[in-house]
Amino acid sequence: MSRSEARRKRWRGEKIAPYLFVAPFIVLFLVFGAYPLVKSVILSFYITNGPSDPVFVGAENYRFLLTDPNFWKAVRNTAVYAFWSLALQIPLGLGLAILLNSSWVRGRNFLRLAFFSPNLVGQVFVGVLFSVLFVPQYGLVNKALHATIGTPLDTRWLAEPHLVMPALVMTSLWMYVGFQMVYFLAGLQSVDKELYEAARIDGANNWQQFLNVTLPSIRHVLVFVVLVSTIGSFQLFELPWVMLGRGPGPDSAGLTIIMYLYLNGYVAGDLGYASAVGWTLALGLLVISLIQLRMSGVWGGRRAG
Amino acid sequence: MLGLGLASGAYLALRQPKKQQADLRLWTFAKPHGEAYMEALPAFQRKHPEVSVDIQIVAWEAVTSRLQAAFWSGLDVPDLVEVEISEAGSFFRGRLESIGFLDLTERIHQTGLWERVVRARFAPYTTRGRIFGVPHDVHPVMLAYRRDLIEKLRIDVDKIQTWDDFVEVGRRVTEPGKRFMMELPTAEASRLEAMLFQRDGGYFDPQGRCIIDNETAVQTMMAYVPMVAGRYRIGSDLGGGQIFTRALEDGYFLFMIAPDWRTKLIEQDVPKVGGRMALMPVPAVQPGGRRTTTWGGTMIGITRKSPNPDLAWELIMHLYFNKEDLAKRFRDTNILPPARDLWDHPAYDEPRPFWSTQPLGRLYANLAPDVPFQYTSPFISLAKAKMSEALIACVQYYNRYGDRGFEGFVRRQLKVSAEEVRRVMRRNPYVTE
Repeated sequence: MSRSEARRKRWRGEKIAPYLFVAPFIVLFLVFGAYPLVKSVILSFYITNGPSDPVFVGAENYRFLLTDPNFWKAVRNTAVYAFWSLALQIPLGLGLAILLNSSWVRGRNFLRLAFFSPNLVGQVFVGVLFSVLFVPQYGLVNKALHATIGTPLDTRWLAEPHLVMPALVMTSLWMYVGFQMVYFLAGLQSVDKELYEAARIDGANNWQQFLNVTLPSIRHVLVFVVLVSTIGSFQLFELPWVMLGRGPGPDSAGLTIIMYLYLNGYVAGDLGYASAVGWTLALGLLVISLIQLRMSGVWGGRRAG
Repeated sequence: MLGLGLASGAYLALRQPKKQQADLRLWTFAKPHGEAYMEALPAFQRKHPEVSVDIQIVAWEAVTSRLQAAFWSGLDVPDLVEVEISEAGSFFRGRLESIGFLDLTERIHQTGLWERVVRARFAPYTTRGRIFGVPHDVHPVMLAYRRDLIEKLRIDVDKIQTWDDFVEVGRRVTEPGKRFMMELPTAEASRLEAMLFQRDGGYFDPQGRCIIDNETAVQTMMAYVPMVAGRYRIGSDLGGGQIFTRALEDGYFLFMIAPDWRTKLIEQDVPKVGGRMALMPVPAVQPGGRRTTTWGGTMIGITRKSPNPDLAWELIMHLYFNKEDLAKRFRDTNILPPARDLWDHPAYDEPRPFWSTQPLGRLYANLAPDVPFQYTSPFISLAKAKMSEALIACVQYYNRYGDRGFEGFVRRQLKVSAEEVRRVMRRNPYVTE
């Protein structure tokens, strides 16, 4: 073999090698990622009985979806849950992180673990636990509230439509606030201490330091946490499913978009309609995420600070 | 690496030894059923020594979602499956020939079951005139009550003949937050449904049309809601499980709807009230009217893919219609079998100490022939959800405005709920074909 021939062979090998390395991912992605995605787009134009007997209906599934009051109820419930979860979890998670990042707090490591630990157990476990805590007449939540603010002992958190969402938000708060805290802690620990020193020299008080040093420094973490939490909130399923006894609860007050998808796809058996719901949710999430990125200036707007 | 993985996976898959399967496999979601069938099995196997039978107790969710998924995708399914009454309709969504269960209509007529079994019990397992399940039970309903407390309150249950009588007594003894005449939920429609059936109403008519806004439904809602809402309510609920146990022990509820299956749960879960409980017929809507209704049920079906449908049918007949086995099973479960000729066994006349020595079996057997029909549809879950939503809305309205404009509101609300069901039904291309 001549030298040029050997070089050509090696060159060809070097050119092929990267493709071979990525091939396993590509093949798996095509089989388990791209194919189901494409298939679900096609399915969303059919009414089906499980995967069988597909009947082509064009855009009827999307038309029906947009006029279905149950879908809009699921959207409203999910949006309300997402709003309140974020509105409570983010400030509380950030507050806890600031507290547990302070040198004067004793037992910080233990407290960090304690606040994070609810996140180590699954939503199903938490759902079972809180469905017991919310029991009327004998449940711990009712007993505590009755003793402190005098609410009725037989308050039916999971059986009264207007109380279902507060119960879900409270449960998720307990579960996820530690999760947010860990991200914020990581962000806080990377803030340059000299910035605080400089701010103090300039006469900034604690609140001004928080507004002008801490927040801008952890902005990327904040955006990430808000984004991840929003997407997570819109994917809510197990928690209400378990707490409300494998269903949407009274007056469908715990019906979320994913639950709506599940009920239509796997209980009613219309995989076509469920696919339409899935794609509508995906598009909705994409739009919300882009708006959030735009508003935070991370994408397409002001440069991140 | 990928090639290696695929090759070794394919090798292992092909080399996998075929699992030794029993000739007949039966799935049930109810542990007491499974245990009783295992006891009854030796007698069947003496008749068929060459046949192996495997009875599996499977979680409720598995029976509904996994079985449905297996039907859809043509996967391995057992020969026989027990399905809960409220889930049965969901298996009837597709074309008749796509339903995963075998059509048993001819077998039921040929073997005389059509005459032997309480006729109403076939209705929940029938779609488009074809029967896909054999009923396991009748589940007539009575009212269970705390006899000791009722006596202390000087209530004469014999004088309670109608729901009006019941409400009148209830208003006298109810003390909200402390004691209620009856356990009645405001957020789900299971007890409302029982009262609807008592009046010959329901979710669907025999032709599968949604009827949750007909006159019977309106009248039932108008009777039920004032019992659980407003100033003079006599009913409330706290939930099931341990909390129900505690509430019954504490005398929070005096009466509760009790189909035969629930009496066994009460015996097991609330042993403290043993000897202090009793049963009475459900109050009639009108004097002289029906004194029972129905709640719950189970069917057994043979899967279409079963290679041994005749043998599976024989097993059904053995498990569901053997008089001696069923008498023993009744003692264990309190569940009355569906065939009338089985009820003359002495087991049904035995006094039960837990129920103040009342002959529980005879009380239920006397009411069983009068159990109302309930028709099903693939859209039964949706109809139930919409009925619950309507109930919640009506309760909220009544709490706010009382009787003022209530009838009009009930009519409008039920109409809206029914239209939503009909709207979804119109989309189904299989049932209407």
